[in-house]
Amino acid sequence: MFRLDTPRAVPFCDGLNRRDFLHAGALSCLGLSLADLCGLEARGAVDKSRDVNCIFLFLVGGPSQMDTWDMKPEAPSEIRGPYRPIPTNVPGIRISEIFPRMARHADRYALVRSFHHNVPAHPLAHYLVQTGQAFSPGIVYPNLGSATGFLKGADSELPPHLVLPIPLTSRKGQSAGFLGKTHDPFLIHSDPSRDDFRIQDLVPPEYVSAIRVERARSFRNVVDRAFRNFEEGSTSTRLLDSAYHQAYSIVSSARAREAFDLKSEEDQLRDRYGRNRFGQSCLLARRLVEAGVRFVTINMFDDFGGGVSWDVHGSSPFSPITELDKLGPMFDNAYSSLIEDLHDRGLLEQTLVVAMGEFGRTPKINPAGGRDHWPSVSTIILAGGGIQGGQVVGSSDRIAAEPRDRPVGPQEVLATIYKSLGIDLHTELPGPQSRPIPIVDIGVEPIHELFGG
Amino acid sequence: MTWISCLLAGALLQAEPEALKLLPEEIVLSGPRTTQRLLVVEPAEGGESVRDWTDEVRFAVSDPEVAAVEENSTIAAVSDGSTTLLAHLPDGRKASARIRVLGSAKPVRWSFRNHVLPALTKAGCNSGPCHGAASGQNYLKLSLRGYAPEADHAALTREGAGRRVLTLEPARSLVLLKPTLAVPHGGGRRLTVPSRNYQVLSEWIATGAAPPRPTDRRVASLRVIPSHLRLQPGQQHGVLVQAVFDDGSREDVTHWAKFSSTDSGILNVDETGRARALGQGEAHISVWCLDQVASARVTIPMTDGHGPEAYARAPRHNRIDDLVLKKLEDLGLPPYRLSNDHHFVRRAYLDAAGVLPSAREARRFVEDTNPDKRVRLVDSLLERPEFVDYWTYKWCDLLLVSRSKLKSPSHRIFYDWIRRSVAENKPWDRFVREILTATGSNTSNGAANYWVMHDEATKATENITHTFLGISVACARCHNHPLDKWTQEDYYGLSSFFSRVGRKPGDRGDVIIFESRSGEVPFPGRQDPLPPRPLEGNPIAEDAPGSRRQHFAAWLTSPENRYFLRATVNRIWHHFLGRGLVEPVDDLRQTNPASNEDLMDALVRDFTEHGFDLRHLIRTIMNSATYQASAGGAGSPELAEKYHSRFGVRRLPAEVILDMICQVTGVPERFHGFPSGTRALQLPDTRVASNFLSTFGRPAREINAHAERVKEPTVNQALHLIHGEGLHRKLQSESGFLSRSLAEGRSRQEVIRNLYWAALSRPPTDEEMRELLETLGPAPSPSSSGEIMDAERNGLADLAHGILTSKEFLFNH
Repeated sequence: MFRLDTPRAVPFCDGLNRRDFLHAGALSCLGLSLADLCGLEARGAVDKSRDVNCIFLFLVGGPSQMDTWDMKPEAPSEIRGPYRPIPTNVPGIRISEIFPRMARHADRYALVRSFHHNVPAHPLAHYLVQTGQAFSPGIVYPNLGSATGFLKGADSELPPHLVLPIPLTSRKGQSAGFLGKTHDPFLIHSDPSRDDFRIQDLVPPEYVSAIRVERARSFRNVVDRAFRNFEEGSTSTRLLDSAYHQAYSIVSSARAREAFDLKSEEDQLRDRYGRNRFGQSCLLARRLVEAGVRFVTINMFDDFGGGVSWDVHGSSPFSPITELDKLGPMFDNAYSSLIEDLHDRGLLEQTLVVAMGEFGRTPKINPAGGRDHWPSVSTIILAGGGIQGGQVVGSSDRIAAEPRDRPVGPQEVLATIYKSLGIDLHTELPGPQSRPIPIVDIGVEPIHELFGG
Repeated sequence: MTWISCLLAGALLQAEPEALKLLPEEIVLSGPRTTQRLLVVEPAEGGESVRDWTDEVRFAVSDPEVAAVEENSTIAAVSDGSTTLLAHLPDGRKASARIRVLGSAKPVRWSFRNHVLPALTKAGCNSGPCHGAASGQNYLKLSLRGYAPEADHAALTREGAGRRVLTLEPARSLVLLKPTLAVPHGGGRRLTVPSRNYQVLSEWIATGAAPPRPTDRRVASLRVIPSHLRLQPGQQHGVLVQAVFDDGSREDVTHWAKFSSTDSGILNVDETGRARALGQGEAHISVWCLDQVASARVTIPMTDGHGPEAYARAPRHNRIDDLVLKKLEDLGLPPYRLSNDHHFVRRAYLDAAGVLPSAREARRFVEDTNPDKRVRLVDSLLERPEFVDYWTYKWCDLLLVSRSKLKSPSHRIFYDWIRRSVAENKPWDRFVREILTATGSNTSNGAANYWVMHDEATKATENITHTFLGISVACARCHNHPLDKWTQEDYYGLSSFFSRVGRKPGDRGDVIIFESRSGEVPFPGRQDPLPPRPLEGNPIAEDAPGSRRQHFAAWLTSPENRYFLRATVNRIWHHFLGRGLVEPVDDLRQTNPASNEDLMDALVRDFTEHGFDLRHLIRTIMNSATYQASAGGAGSPELAEKYHSRFGVRRLPAEVILDMICQVTGVPERFHGFPSGTRALQLPDTRVASNFLSTFGRPAREINAHAERVKEPTVNQALHLIHGEGLHRKLQSESGFLSRSLAEGRSRQEVIRNLYWAALSRPPTDEEMRELLETLGPAPSPSSSGEIMDAERNGLADLAHGILTSKEFLFNH
C-alpha cells in the first residue's frame, strides 16, 4: 500500500521512481509503456550530461522592440518613442529606462536583436514562435516545451511541462499537437498572486483517507479491465489513463505538492518578484524547476488586446505605448528577481530562461499613439543554461524595422533552446501515422555565438 | 477456332496496360500568348487518375505551325488553326488531344484584373507580410491578395513618383527592377527573367498599363483537373487549374493558383500543384485563384483491403449505411459490426436524452425479444421530457444564451422560448426564421432577445453566418477572406440586412425590437453603403416588399441554401457520431469538404424532403447500423472515427456526466438559486457556479465557436475525479442509493449488481464480482458493531467511486 506522505520518492530509473515503475508495469496494458514515461533518453536523443531545464516567459501581445531592448535614440521622434536608453553593467549595451534592475544584470543575459518572421497575427504567431512551424490545417505541431517533455520524460512526480498561470485564449501553439494530448502541458488555471491560490483537488476531503483513495483506484482497475476491447477504438480513453497516472503521481508526492506552496517563500522575496500574476508565476516557475519540472511556460498575459498587454495599438480598447510605464516594472522586477534567485541558488547554469513575444511593433508610431504588429524584427532575451551573457547577437536597422545583420528565425530559436537543453537537433518525433518529423527543419543551426562558440 | 481467337484477343486486351489520358481533353488556345499546362494521366475504372506520367512522356505536335510544346509541359499558341497533340511513353502507350488556336495574331492585351494581379499574387507581392500588409511595405501598399484592383492600379501607376510603372521605358519600371533584384528589394527575389510572370508584367506596361475596367470578364468558377486522384503513399501527382469566366471562356491559371492541402498529415501539395501522398485516408488539394476556390479529392486507400463480400454481409438499416459502407470499401477500411444491446441502450439514452437508462429500463430492454425493439426505443426516447431538456440546452449553447450576454430574466425568457420550440418539434427553418425576424418586446417574444444580444450589424453578420451556416466571414470585414471566396462586398452586402433593426426601451424595463425605416452600414473606403445581398445571390431592391431581415431569413432558410442545410445536418451528425462529416463542425469552407460528400448530400436531401424535421433526422441517424456500430475493433482510430468503421469512443459532456453521477448515487446536485432536483442539463445559464462543470469543460457561451467546449480528459479532471468533494459527499450522503441499500439490508452482491446496471447498463461478470468482493475483504455479519458497519459502508462507497470514475462510465461507447 502506498503512502501519501512519502517524503521523497526513491529514484529508480531516470525520471521514474520505484513506485512509478510498479504503476507503469500495471499500466502497460493501458497503452503506456515504460519507454513513454522514461522519455527517449535511452535512445540517445538527449544528452544526460546537460541536465538543463527551461523557463519560457511568453510576452503575449508582442513587446515593442524600440521601447524595450533595442532602442533607437537617434531615430526621428515618431519612431524612437517616449523612453530613453540607460547604460547597463556591460559597456556598450543599453536598454530602456523602464528596466532599471535588468540594467544591473546585463552580464547574465544575451540579447538577440534580429529575430524576425512574417506572421503578423497574434494566434498564428503564437503558434509559429512556440512550434517553429507556420500554421496549416490537418497537422498540429507540438509546443517546444511539450516536445522537450516528450523527449526528456518526467524528472519527478510532476508533469514535465507546465503552463502558468492561465492558458492563452488564442489556444494556439501550447498543445502537444501530434505527440498526443498525453503530452499536453499541465495547466494550473490559477493566479499564484492570489491569497487563496491553490491547485484544485490536490488533496482529498479530510474525511477520505489515503487508504480509501487507493482502494477506490483498485476498484476502478477491476471495472476498467472489461473496457479493454474498446481501447484501440479511442485515443481519448488512453488520455484518461495517462491523466489519472499523472494525477496520482502528483498527489502522492509530498515534493510535488510542496512545489505549489508559494506561502513557504519569504514575504520579502515574494515582494521582490512583484505581487502580481506574472511576478508570482516566475517565482512558482523557479520552485517547479527546482522540483524537477523540465519546462515551464509562463503566459505573461492570457490574451492580447482588450485588457493590459504588450499589444499597444493605441486606439481603444488597446493601450497606448505609455502602458509600458506599468509593464516595464512588472517585467523588470519579475525577470531580475528570477535571474538573481536562480543564480543565488546555483541553478542558473541548469536553467535556461527565455523571454520573447510573438512579434515586434511598427517602427512608426500610429496616429492613435500606439504601435501595430511588426513581425519583421524583435528582440529575444536568453539567460542561463550555458548561454554566455553580456552580449548582443544581431542588430536591427536604423529604425528597428528589419534585421541589419545576423537575422534569426523561429526555427533557429527552437534549435538554440534544444541545444541548451541537451537535445540532439537530429531527433525525430513520431508524426501523424508514425511519420518521423524532425524537431527542427533539416539544416537549421542554433545561434552558436550564444554558447560562446 | 474463331471463338478461341476471340478469347485470346479478349485476354490480350485485358493484359494491355491502362490507357493514358491527355489533359485537358479539349485544348482551345484563344488569343495571343495563350498557353496551357499539360498533364498525362492513367485513369482507373472509376475515372479517377492513379498515376501522373507527364514527366515521362514525349510530346509531339503534328502541325508545329499551329502550336508548340515548351518546357514545363506547356503548350503555346503559334498561329491560328487546328492540330493534334500526341504524348508517347517509352513503352509504346500514347494519348492524344485536339488543339484549336484562335486569335493568335491579335495584339497582346494583358488584363490588369485577370493577369497582372494573379501574377503579383502568386509572386507573393500583395501577401500579408509584404505589400498586402495594412500599412504596406516601404511605402508601397497593395490590397491583400488583390481584392481591390482599382486601388492597386492607382498605387502602381500613379503613386511612388510615377517610377513604379514607366510605359515609355518599361524595363526601367520599379515593378520589374525590384522583384528581379536589379535594384535592392527588401522582399528578395520574386520574379525571374525570363518567366511568364515577367512577360505578363512587362508587356502590360509596354502596352500602356491599362487599368481594370468594369466590363472586364470575371471569373465565375475554378476547375481542377483531374477532380479525383487515387494514390499510394509516396506517389506524386500534379493537377491543372482552369478559370471559367462569366462569358463562358476558359483559361489555364495553373501557374497562378495557390495550392494547399486540407490535411497536411497525409497529403503534401507544393506551390506548383504537385501533390505527394504521405499517409492513408482521404484529403483534398485546395486551390485559390482570383477570389475563387475549388478542390480535387485525393484517395489514398489502405492496402490490406477486405473483399467485397465483407461489405455485402455488413448490416444495413437505411441509406446512411449504404453510403458509409461504400466509402469504407473505397478506402479499404473494414466494415463496421453491430453493437450489443447493453451498449446500444446506454448509448441511445445518453445521446438522445442525456440520461442513463435506469437499471430497470436497461434490463427490460436487454431482455425484450421483440425484433423491432431498437426502433421502438428510439421512438420512445424522442418523446421523453429529458430529450427536450437536452436539445434546449444544445441550442442554448449554439445561440450563446447566458446571463453574460442578457440581463436576467431575459435569458430565462429566451430559454423558455427555445424550450417550447423544441417541445413542439418546430421545424428548424421556422425556428431560425422566427429568431431572425423577431420583433416586439423581449419579455413577450423570447426570440427578440437574439437582437438584444446582437446590437451591431457586424456582430450579427458574423454570428449568424457562423451559427446557422457554419461559415466564417469575419475576415472579410477588413479584406477579402484569404482562404475562402468571401469578399468585402459579400460581407457588407450581408451586414446591410441587419442595419435596420430598431431597438427602444419599453415601459417595463424591456427592450422593443422593431423594423426601422432607415439605417445603413458604411462600406469602408466608399461613399455609398451596399444594398443587402445574400451570399452568392443578387441584391434586394430597395422597394422590395418586406423588411430586410425577412428577405434575409427567407434566403437563409430556403431549401436551396446548401450551407444552411449542411451546417444543420453536420451538427446533428456530430452530436451522434462524435465527429462531423465536416470537421471542425462549424467550418464549412468550400475548401473543407465532408468526409463523405455523398452521405452529406443524401442527408441534406432527406432533411429537406421531411420539412426540416429535426426529430426525423435524429431518428434516421439513430436507426442506422452506422450509429449502432460496435465501438470495438482494431486499426487506426483516426480513420475509423472519420469514416465510421466503428463507433467513436468519446468522453461524455460535462453536464451529462454530472447528471449521471446524481442519477446513480440518487443524490441531486445543488445549484445555487435553483430548486433541488434541477439537473445540469436543465440550467438556463452557464453562469451557474459548479466546480465539476468548469473542470470538465462546460462552455462559457462567450464566443461563437464549437471549440469552446472542452471534450478531452485532462489531468485536472483526473484530480477532480480522485479528490473532488462533490462525488465523495454524494457517496457519503444519508439519502443516497448506498444508505438506502444498506438500510434495506441488501447483500454486497445485490448492491454491486444494481450499481453495475444503473451505471453501466450491464451486470458484472463473474470475474469482476469475485475480484470486487475480494478487494472489499471479509463481509460483516448482521450483528456487527457500528464501527464495522461504517467500514462496510466506506468500502461500498469506494467501490461505487471506482465505478463512477471508470472509463466505461465516463465514456460513450
